[in-house]
Amino acid sequence: MVRLLPYAFILPPMIYLLVFMFWPLSRQMYMSLTNTRIVNPNRGRFIGLGNYERLIEDPAFYVSLKATLVYTVLTVIIGVTLGVVAALAIDRPFKGRAVARAILLFGWAVPGVAASLIWLWMYNERSGVFNRITELLGLGRFSWLTSTDYALGSVLAVTVWQVAPFVMLVVLAALQSVPQEVREAARIDGADGISTFRAVTLPHIRPSIQLAALLVAVWSIRRFDIIYLLTGGGPLGSTSTLVVKLRQTAFEGHELGMASAYGAIGLALALMVAAIHYTAEQRRMKRMSR
Amino acid sequence: MTTPRKLAVKALRYMLIGILVVLAGFPVYWMAATALNVNSQLYGTGQVAWPQLQHLPDLVTELGNVPIGRWLFNTLLIASGGTVLSLTLGALAGYALSRFKFHGRGLVGFLLFMTQVVPEALILVPLYAMFITFGLLNSLWGLILANVGFSLPVACFVLKGAMDAVPYEIEESAIIDNCPRFSVLTMIILPLIMPSIAAAAVVSFFAGWNEFLFASTFLMDRTLWPASVGLASFVGQYETPMSAVLGAALVFSLPAIVFFLLIQRKIVAGLTAGAVKG
Amino acid sequence: MPALTFNKVSKTFGDHTVINAFNADIHDGEFLVLLGPSGCGKSTLLRMIAGLSDITSGDLLFDGSVANDWEPKKRGVAFVFQTYALYPHMTVRENIAFPLVMDAFRKWYHLPIVNIVARHRLMKRADIAERTLSIARQLELEPLLDRRPASLSGGQRQRVALARALVRNPDLYLLDEPLSNLDAKLRTQMRSEISALHHKVGKTFVYVTHDQVEAMTMATRIIVMNKGIVQQVDTPDEIYDHPANTFVARFVGSPPMNLIPASVSNDALQLSGKLAVDHAAPLPSRRHMTFGVRPEKLTLHPAGEGRLPAQVAVVERLGAETVIGCRLMTGEENNDQRLLEHDLVFVRVSGNPKVRIGELCSLDYQAGDVLWFDIDSGDRIFPGQE
Repeated sequence: MVRLLPYAFILPPMIYLLVFMFWPLSRQMYMSLTNTRIVNPNRGRFIGLGNYERLIEDPAFYVSLKATLVYTVLTVIIGVTLGVVAALAIDRPFKGRAVARAILLFGWAVPGVAASLIWLWMYNERSGVFNRITELLGLGRFSWLTSTDYALGSVLAVTVWQVAPFVMLVVLAALQSVPQEVREAARIDGADGISTFRAVTLPHIRPSIQLAALLVAVWSIRRFDIIYLLTGGGPLGSTSTLVVKLRQTAFEGHELGMASAYGAIGLALALMVAAIHYTAEQRRMKRMSR
Repeated sequence: MTTPRKLAVKALRYMLIGILVVLAGFPVYWMAATALNVNSQLYGTGQVAWPQLQHLPDLVTELGNVPIGRWLFNTLLIASGGTVLSLTLGALAGYALSRFKFHGRGLVGFLLFMTQVVPEALILVPLYAMFITFGLLNSLWGLILANVGFSLPVACFVLKGAMDAVPYEIEESAIIDNCPRFSVLTMIILPLIMPSIAAAAVVSFFAGWNEFLFASTFLMDRTLWPASVGLASFVGQYETPMSAVLGAALVFSLPAIVFFLLIQRKIVAGLTAGAVKG
Repeated sequence: MPALTFNKVSKTFGDHTVINAFNADIHDGEFLVLLGPSGCGKSTLLRMIAGLSDITSGDLLFDGSVANDWEPKKRGVAFVFQTYALYPHMTVRENIAFPLVMDAFRKWYHLPIVNIVARHRLMKRADIAERTLSIARQLELEPLLDRRPASLSGGQRQRVALARALVRNPDLYLLDEPLSNLDAKLRTQMRSEISALHHKVGKTFVYVTHDQVEAMTMATRIIVMNKGIVQQVDTPDEIYDHPANTFVARFVGSPPMNLIPASVSNDALQLSGKLAVDHAAPLPSRRHMTFGVRPEKLTLHPAGEGRLPAQVAVVERLGAETVIGCRLMTGEENNDQRLLEHDLVFVRVSGNPKVRIGELCSLDYQAGDVLWFDIDSGDRIFPGQE
């Protein structure tokens, strides 16, 4: 009787997740082994690793994989760096800190679609604010979103605008819990600002930075809305991450089997990131318990 | 105590903060400023960089030509429905994880963690097929059911964290007082963690409010479109003035900005807890 | 009216045994105190009675029927927690009425939202409102009825917890260290209030505490426990006068019973190894044992007049009486440089004798007040049972 009680609480949410999350997920994984097309979504024929074989031979796949990796790695590096810098800058109190903090969070709070619209306008070739500035500086106009040279960087800028504030919040929370006495003790022992930071503050906030990096990486692999709206994956696939490619292959190319194969690669990437995080986390736990 | 070096460091710090604030705040400022320009300025004479409040009536007239009210109403339905569902399921799961040891507890944690890793796009196609079968395509209900899978775990972790802090003795006391477990949850625990429920509600609400991928795939009927899909439909079409587009985007963004700023700390706690507890 | 029987009840958490084959009967209407140091398993026993903890093996019987798996509500008990466990979001009135409201709930009242309406309605029902009010009056809580627990003092919260226990008029009251969060003065007052309450309601009370004063003053019977094992079950007087072993002798009484290693050679008693004493009574027929005597059974004399020469080491003046800690003079005390005062022999005398630390004195006792214990097991040696 008592033993069954926990299941009365856990079953409804789990059944929900199984039906609307994990059943579709396993269908998707199976679908990647079939030649399902959108006209017969439930009647694909099993073709083994056929889709993956096509994938390996398709140069477009490598373009997409490269876009995903570059996009993810750069988002993490730039987003986390900016987030940490911002957190350190506003950690100590100053006049107007609350306002500065609120404004720094704007990018994180604005919905993706709205963010895409405003950045599209700012990137606008003829009337956007960026090109007005570059023209003023005598640099001429840039095709921010339609040239293979700049498109990924432009999408990256919007992404960083969205994720850096989140990193900042996570790091700020960790900074707030750095024991003041230890910092002061280090000061009394003659450490200057930089060595105090390296010896006391950094080790304390490192786990939070790592966690934020994990989340930012996973979100980058998952992100759809702003990439789709800003560039639609173009030009020439230079911003078509696996997730964008998935939806295009499914709903524009009508090849659900192939789309699923792209998805499977995306999931594998996300799981790899998570696995790396956990290994690092486990090692840290072990070190601490020693 | 203020040596020249310290002063220089301080000045550098303020400069850095200034730059960051401008970078972070500019797009939102520009959104507001653009909304208060008129079309001839935007595409012809050049955009005026400061908000021209005298153009506010023009903006209101322009917004009248956009079905933003209808869209926001749909968005509200989707977000509220998702909130109710994700809080209900999240509270049940959070309570079970907070109070019981049971077989499969690790599996539950793993599944909840997985939902944070799985790209939404990955279940798009099978859900689409499933919704065709069950007649959930082109329905707000279907969309809500699809959305909640991703907001439920965050709600669950926020609520579990709060429940962990409620003393177990209060719960035992209620059990002695003849209160069944379900009522312990609804009558004793939940009223005690109202701030966290509010936080979980905001997270779930704006997950539904902002959602675009599912909504743009599952809803074909224009009258069902939420604001995210409606606004996205302006991309690449030039009939609607940019001031109206960004005005509508601003209206759509404001609630999210306000609530996210209000409960920022709780959101961070929920998102990071989900990733730690896998 | 339930009579409770424990039949070889054990509780283990993994490899750790909390309670080991516990046997006891709890009689109707008694005030039973479970006494022991923290972590001895006494709270776990109480929680087993309430149905909050599982029993690993053995049986718990309510009036002869095995109740191991009964739901808490079937047992008809009230529980007062150490932390009071009041519902912080409810007023005092709602807290006290909660058990009654729950009893009046039908199954479907538990539905979300319905429960809010149902609770609101039931709070106003005449019988529940009256019962709540009368209990509140009994415990002088009437002026506080609309306050929330956070705004009450510790003593007031304690009384609300008692009121909530009383309101359903159960047959069995379980109290888990209910006074340990109160300050000393309030604790004394609540002690007599709970005793009075027991007399008035005439129901069975099971009371867990680590405070031997509470046990001695309130109990009709005490179960002394240590490390999950029952040490002695008896009335307070018997426990005090005839402790079953050195653990009980030391745990009950303040200062505790003096326990001095003793040996017998050639029919002569030697205390602390060296000090030969003329016992003037038959001695147990073994070589080594522990000599036990209560502090108030010792008498204090000027040096040379008593049988046990001693030196004053500690003086605690308590007003009406004075507790003096002495070190026995065994002839080796000059080498003793220890700073801490263990191995002291305590004597309790009334009034305020003029003694100074370091002063030489002597102690004496009557042979009939001495208890003997086994030197290894600590068990008491009964006369004629050696």
